[in-house]
Amino acid sequence: MTSRLALWLLAPGLLLLALLMGGPVALLALESLKPFVPGSMRPGEGWTLAHYRELLQPAYLFYFWETFRIGLIVSTLSLLLGAPLAFAAVRSPRAGLRKALLALLVGLLVMSLIARLYAVEMAWGSLGPLAPLGALLGIAPRHPRYAEVLVGIGLLHFTLPVVALMLVGTFRALSPRLEEAAASLGATRSDAVVSILLPLAAPGMVSAFLVSLAMCISNFVAPLVLGRGVVVFTTSLMYTRFADIGNYPAGAAIGVTMLILAFLVVYGLSALARRLVPR
Amino acid sequence: MARIIASPAVNRRALLGGLATMAGSGPVFAQPRGEQLLVVMWGAQWIEVSRPIGEEWMRATGDRIQWELHAGGAMAIVGRLRPLWPRVPQNLIAAWDPVFAAMMEAGWMEPVNETEMPALRDIPDAFFKKDAQGRKMTVPLSTAGAFWGYRTDLVTGPPIESIEQLLEPRFRGKLCVPVPVNLSGLLLVSLAMQRGGNERNIEPGWQFLKQLAERGQIGRVVANNSEMINAMSAGDLSVAFWNTGGWQAVRDRFPCRLLTRLPDNKGFLFNEGFAVMKGENANRVAAAKRFANHFATAPINTRYNMPLGSGPTNINSTPAPAIADIFYKPDELERFAYIPDYAYMSSQVDAWTRRWETEITPLVRRG
Repeated sequence: MTSRLALWLLAPGLLLLALLMGGPVALLALESLKPFVPGSMRPGEGWTLAHYRELLQPAYLFYFWETFRIGLIVSTLSLLLGAPLAFAAVRSPRAGLRKALLALLVGLLVMSLIARLYAVEMAWGSLGPLAPLGALLGIAPRHPRYAEVLVGIGLLHFTLPVVALMLVGTFRALSPRLEEAAASLGATRSDAVVSILLPLAAPGMVSAFLVSLAMCISNFVAPLVLGRGVVVFTTSLMYTRFADIGNYPAGAAIGVTMLILAFLVVYGLSALARRLVPR
Repeated sequence: MARIIASPAVNRRALLGGLATMAGSGPVFAQPRGEQLLVVMWGAQWIEVSRPIGEEWMRATGDRIQWELHAGGAMAIVGRLRPLWPRVPQNLIAAWDPVFAAMMEAGWMEPVNETEMPALRDIPDAFFKKDAQGRKMTVPLSTAGAFWGYRTDLVTGPPIESIEQLLEPRFRGKLCVPVPVNLSGLLLVSLAMQRGGNERNIEPGWQFLKQLAERGQIGRVVANNSEMINAMSAGDLSVAFWNTGGWQAVRDRFPCRLLTRLPDNKGFLFNEGFAVMKGENANRVAAAKRFANHFATAPINTRYNMPLGSGPTNINSTPAPAIADIFYKPDELERFAYIPDYAYMSSQVDAWTRRWETEITPLVRRG
């Protein structure tokens, strides 16, 4: 197939994508440049960069940092917990365990996030039976900063099954014979995992990590339900601007900034992964 | 399918009988009569009390009521409707004074009058929001308020007689407060008044709020009624600033004292009710007015307000005995109550929210 023909075949899909995805983002970018008139439902006249300038204040930089920091921690935990789960779900010699793990992961995926978040609040909240475990991190369960722990656990509920199920596909694609071959050449089980399995699974793990990160930094419900009003993600800032105040330009500016930052972080992490694990 | 027909519960005779009954009942297959209305209401007790009233209305009139709940503060609905206007699906919106002011400014509300809505004759004129031409624009259903209060079973030591006491170490992490977008910043106004300010001189309020945050007094920041009720019911917070509806729910379960008669602070009063939205479908607008009028009639107004802990607006309604400590006698109004300029406050919410995000949240977080 010639590249020109391929382009023509792709054209309808690309056009649809541009309309459905590019259109709203372009409108968002335009909205972010309009002035806001307090107390009015109508936008002001002309164009301004004021909404972007405001985001350079240290307090707002902190909210961006906080969103990515908690997202990175939760994604790392998801990967660390999800990889062994996925590996066991693929390679365990016991068929019952494999099926049970897969059923658990799929079950977690389809269970209502809201129900799970309130369950987290009941179990890990300041008066919950698991609060002493959370306090092992050095923050008293009644302290406002403990909300970070709750939000992290809430996000983990959201991302862990997704990461594990993505890695199930990755591990399934890797033939166990590679490890057997390594073992026949004298490698121990851990050597085989570190030198054969992990490098081969690295692209899948990086993808799962990035999906998890995207899910975390765009999550709105977990910080809202578990954040006690003090763990504020950029999604919450956007919601307040759009829904509570009606300041669409400021909300749009946060959205566009997040989009650019997310692209940069994903691109940076992908580049780093390519450098660390060359194909 | 064969297994279902063979089951003793659903046999051929029962199936045919059921179909015959359904065919005989007519309206099951006929076009439903009446109008379809989308009504926005708050969650918690508001929807609990409104839903049965709506169901009775549907049975009586054939109108179909679909409820939609406010997400976050009532002001959020304004932001949600803005991009949809003028094709908004909502016909009636339950809101309060600052939200009415914003919607009126946007020109979204339908004027109301006693000819179309006879129950309005029994509501005092002062409760209505009016446009520049003096037309009534709202259907006031409740007189409510926002006050400081506390759970007496959780607060040890001397009772709270002044808001200044909230700076004491015993209240560390015990305060539950709203973000400025909730109650249109009444928390700030309350704190400002404590230090000699008001809604137009808000700086003393910010200074007091910073002191509370720096000392770690604020344990939780809430954004809606459910969050406040959950937070105060959980037992790790004991003092809150919130509206009568939220307090009523907490008072139903725990012993509480509402600080409605402090010598150096005031309670805030406001009206809640319905806004009838403008719409292209005149029949639907008329149906919305009929439904709102039903809520404003004395028996329904009594029934609506009783579990909310709010004062009814219809002069022939009966107020709940439980709210005697919340509401002020005429001679107490000047001493203990305050009705701020809600229209001005709603124009300040954007600036107050930014200041909260940049100056207060980081302090609260530090704990």
